[in-house]
Amino acid sequence: MPPVNGLREINTMLASHKHLAPTALSRALWVCVIVLFFIGGTEIVGSIAAQTRRRPRTTTRPKTQTSAPRGAPPKYSAFLHSSDKHKNLTCNECHKVPTSWTAKRDFPDVADFPDHDACVRCHRQQFFTRQAMIGTGPAICTVCHVRAAPREQARFAFGKPNNSAQQAKAKDERQFTIEFPHDKHQNVIAMWHGLQSVNTSLHHRLKSVPLDDKKPDYNNCSICHQTDMSLAIVALAAPNADPALLHPFKSMPRTHDSCFNCHWKNQKPAAADCAGCHKAAPTFIAELGRKRISAKFAHEGGKGEHIAECTTCHINITRVSTTRGLTPDVPLNACAACHRDSKKITYSKAVTIEAEIEQFNKTGECSYCHTPDVGKKKPPASHDAAVQ
Amino acid sequence: MASGRNKRGGLLKRILFLFSFFLLPFAFIFAFSFVAHTQSPESARGVVRLKIRYKSAEGTKDLPRKRFFLVPGSLEQNQPLIEKIKALNATSRECYYRSHGASEALIKWLKDNDCESVYCREVEDKYLSGAEAVPEFLKAFAQALGELKNREVARRWLANYLAPEIRSGFYDQKQKAIQSLVNDVETSTRKTVMSIMTDRKGTAYLTNIEPGTYMISNLAGSETEKTNILWICEREVKATDLGTAMKRPMILSNEKDPKLKCEVIERPLPVCNK
Repeated sequence: MPPVNGLREINTMLASHKHLAPTALSRALWVCVIVLFFIGGTEIVGSIAAQTRRRPRTTTRPKTQTSAPRGAPPKYSAFLHSSDKHKNLTCNECHKVPTSWTAKRDFPDVADFPDHDACVRCHRQQFFTRQAMIGTGPAICTVCHVRAAPREQARFAFGKPNNSAQQAKAKDERQFTIEFPHDKHQNVIAMWHGLQSVNTSLHHRLKSVPLDDKKPDYNNCSICHQTDMSLAIVALAAPNADPALLHPFKSMPRTHDSCFNCHWKNQKPAAADCAGCHKAAPTFIAELGRKRISAKFAHEGGKGEHIAECTTCHINITRVSTTRGLTPDVPLNACAACHRDSKKITYSKAVTIEAEIEQFNKTGECSYCHTPDVGKKKPPASHDAAVQ
Repeated sequence: MASGRNKRGGLLKRILFLFSFFLLPFAFIFAFSFVAHTQSPESARGVVRLKIRYKSAEGTKDLPRKRFFLVPGSLEQNQPLIEKIKALNATSRECYYRSHGASEALIKWLKDNDCESVYCREVEDKYLSGAEAVPEFLKAFAQALGELKNREVARRWLANYLAPEIRSGFYDQKQKAIQSLVNDVETSTRKTVMSIMTDRKGTAYLTNIEPGTYMISNLAGSETEKTNILWICEREVKATDLGTAMKRPMILSNEKDPKLKCEVIERPLPVCNK
């Protein structure tokens, strides 16, 4: 605290060197003024910077991330696309399209690590010199192989090379981001319809009526997004304990299959143009998935009535070229279209927003629609407004 | 001693005076900064719920899957843009494909689902053989099968083996024209042109809009069964929430609405040479 220290200093000076008081006083005053001016200036600059600062990106980066080390001796067990040498290579100098696809996928794909040649042509020294053989063997082998041994066949999963020699990281960190312009894709596939929903068995069971093959299924989003059975919410109480309702979230494409439907060749960016979609990140980045804070919403549920069009609720998705920074874009009014008292006649068994608010007043938690992390908070004004 | 104390007291007073002299303005800056940071930027924004419908011989229908643009400025301010929009030579889908030698079967396949490109529908097996077979698909499928060696993959990926003008030529041409208009506006106004696509019921939401006057248009016109409809409308957007916007949609139609400042240009689709 400079001002307080300054005062003490002045007092001490006054007490011990009275003959110097006039000069010391003016000096002390100047010190005070300069210190205060400095503090004030810092505040102003800080305030301006805060006002003009860009909104933070939603993609959070773990604190432990490191980019390609500069100056430090290279750790050949850790592969970084962003290293100075690697980033000057084109993707297909190492990744061949397709890899031996019939063994890995039922469609041509880049589904495996590059061949040895891709590494050896530059890193011969790291593979074959006597120094490389010291200890557990050439460290560079462990970029792909789980162990550095001549006959070692076991490898890490493609896309998740070894990063054990680097600082601790979440398992699903990646060295690339993926750009998928939803707006452009909606333009061309908006009218898309298949014969029936992708999740046929679930659809039939919940709707309890056979699908009409002539009726278009407008959920073109289902080309890429299907019910994600790996992501479950907390167990629902009976009678809603149907396992299908425990999985409200949709998956994202994890392979190139749905991309290559159109972008295998000719339509840019085509398969060989990896950088057309995969944008190299300067550092490792966290997994692509968004933080899931959704209500207990079952896309396939709703007594069959949730099988509506995706954009009816996700009102902003055809607007944006990137979902980065997009807030949850399902307005409560989308729920209120059915889940409100005045509509209850049509949906007699559906819980309404009014009923949820009433439950909150009694128990302090909205548990029908919300998971506890959200449900224990006071319902916002938007909930009242939506049912008025 | 007493004078020394007085001097010290005076000094302290002067220091305190200087301190408060500097501190007070910063306290105001702090308070202002806090208020500015805690105010929600969304609160002063507007929402427009669009509802697009058109009247045809078969009755009134919703206009599904069409993109509408929100251009900053009034109709008067956007007059140069409006002139360009009106001057656009909008080739119809049928005429485009006919001029590129497309088969009758392909033209029907596109028309059945109002498709602007082959990407908008899954190519089902029935279009690869039999009465409904589309010659362009058959050729592409044969090529895909030869390369991919897997019937199912070849069917799903056959668009990769179509000629560019058949694959998405009409769509690309239209997009190029629209993008040129949008780029012009964005360059001149230095503002982003927002756009949104209607759902199957002709509804779309333009959210998080800065209050002001805007032009709402589909820029290149939208094909219906027999006509091409171009909307050029004006809307004053006020700060409002979604709930209010839902109750008061902005209904665009090809019928005259005296409440709207709207120019609707409906042209019959041209007859194409077979």
